[in-house]
Amino acid sequence: MLLELLGVIALFFGLFFCGVGVLGVIRMPDALTRLHASGKVATLGLFGLLVGAALLMPAASLRILALGLFVLLTSPVATHAIAASVYRRQEILEELFEMRAEQVAMTITDVSGILSRSRIQDIIEAQQRSHRPSEGEPSAKDT
Amino acid sequence: MIESEFAQAAIKLVLLALVSLLIPASYRVIVGKTLPDRLQAVDLITTLLIGIIVMLALVEGTQVFVDMAIALAAFAFVGTISIARYISEGRGF
Repeated sequence: MLLELLGVIALFFGLFFCGVGVLGVIRMPDALTRLHASGKVATLGLFGLLVGAALLMPAASLRILALGLFVLLTSPVATHAIAASVYRRQEILEELFEMRAEQVAMTITDVSGILSRSRIQDIIEAQQRSHRPSEGEPSAKDT
Repeated sequence: MIESEFAQAAIKLVLLALVSLLIPASYRVIVGKTLPDRLQAVDLITTLLIGIIVMLALVEGTQVFVDMAIALAAFAFVGTISIARYISEGRGF
């Protein structure tokens, strides 16, 4: 009976953090602050639910705790990868806005979709190629 | 199977609350402006689904659902990592 009471308390602890995390994901203004909120769901919320489930069903407690250990190991890694992708994407956007205005206007339709690094390299190389011949031709004529 | 009336009612309440939390989480998938926002919301939905499957295992009293939750956690990790690498570097692996 005490085990069940403790399990139900752990379940509601996990449910509280799940609710707070989802609230943060829909209300926070920025992508990185939203990541901060959703990281709490994966660690505190889900781990609370799993501890409650292990206390309520002792026959399956070994499997549930293995799942909890796995989630506790992998979900911060996944959150870190998403945060790195957000940061890298902002860097790519800053590189873009340092370029000329008409090219920004040309590529601004791509900004809403996926901007891969290789595509940006192609754009930069095309820009350099369009600038080079005016500087490179006199030296070619000298030789 | 859990005998006591109190624990059974609490488990069903938590299961109902977790399922209803999927709706505001999918709001961010539909509305979210950029691709990392959507990826992060899908990751959140997968986390909630793992919790829902474990609650379902408690309601049914069977251990098979826990194995399903372990498999879902493994595949969600691989998918999230590969899409995050695709956003930041332009290729999956």
